[in-house]
Amino acid sequence: MTDYKEKIYLTNRGLERFKKEYQGLLETRNLQEEDSESLVLINQRFEELSTILKTYELIQAPPKHKQHIVNLGATVTVEIDGQTDEFTIVGTLEANPSLGRISNESPVGRALLNHGAGEEIIISSNIKTIIYKIKEIKYEL
Amino acid sequence: MNNFIDFFIEAGKLKDIERSGWVLREVKNPETIAEHTFRVALMGWLLADKKEKLNAERIIKMALIHDICEVYAGDITPYDSILPKNKKYLKKLMRTYPRFSNSEKRELALEKHKKEWQALVKITSKLERKLREEILDLWLDYEEGKTKEGRFLKQVDKVENLLQALEYWKKDKNFPINPWWIEAREIFNDPFLIDFIESLDKKFHSNEENTFPHNSQ
Repeated sequence: MTDYKEKIYLTNRGLERFKKEYQGLLETRNLQEEDSESLVLINQRFEELSTILKTYELIQAPPKHKQHIVNLGATVTVEIDGQTDEFTIVGTLEANPSLGRISNESPVGRALLNHGAGEEIIISSNIKTIIYKIKEIKYEL
Repeated sequence: MNNFIDFFIEAGKLKDIERSGWVLREVKNPETIAEHTFRVALMGWLLADKKEKLNAERIIKMALIHDICEVYAGDITPYDSILPKNKKYLKKLMRTYPRFSNSEKRELALEKHKKEWQALVKITSKLERKLREEILDLWLDYEEGKTKEGRFLKQVDKVENLLQALEYWKKDKNFPINPWWIEAREIFNDPFLIDFIESLDKKFHSNEENTFPHNSQ
């Protein structure tokens, strides 16, 4: 089983976005006055982006014979209590549930990983249990 | 000075706007947007203190402005595009977590973002450029999770909402708590906040009455 924890995972689209922001910051940084408040913020962001761009791992679609299993980058159709939903599993930096992108570190994202179509995933706490049935897995990276 | 006064009067309207999620569920005397904002700022500050390398000042500022666009845009909920007119169906819908395809989610999010951005530009339009730009930058960070502070506060906003839902559920066990329980398992990814919501679950679902806060009045 792959251990996805505490690594920076990016899709190609995410990587391009961060590279573009990094370039933009490089240009903006040169225009700032020394010791200004905005320069401090820009440098903080610059440092954060540098770390991301040095240490990321690119999310790529697995080979065809492994695409029936949920991996990072998979778009998964699930059935929950008779309703259908769709999630794309991404790294935390790109997660945005209102756009359908959930993190591999969220309880549901983590539980879906390494499972296949037709399988049921159980999410529970001391007060409630909910079942996610995997209907379909696609890779649209 | 008049520009500041106008801005504060407009932002103050959040003290009178009730949060839509509670109104739709017929909560009596529901929380207003300003009341929600107060506790998001407080939680953002104190919970950030437990995390390494988070800029608390940025988080508090972001919390204070995260919903000010709602003065003009209103409090948009994920249910808005599917609200039935029939009261019985509405009640049933409010017990479920809204589900959409990814393309529907993108369309709804884009529409919401556009409406809120226009409202934010309008409410900040009379502020001096430096402050206006700071507010716009903070809001975009909160919306898009550009920095670790933005990603953290977005989740703290949801933790506050979950806590309020649990408080309503504690007062009235008919309050439909399920959508919040489900949402929490799909949207939270910060390990510290995941532990925090598990603790909330335990506290509110314990049978021991004395584990709940007492009403001093």
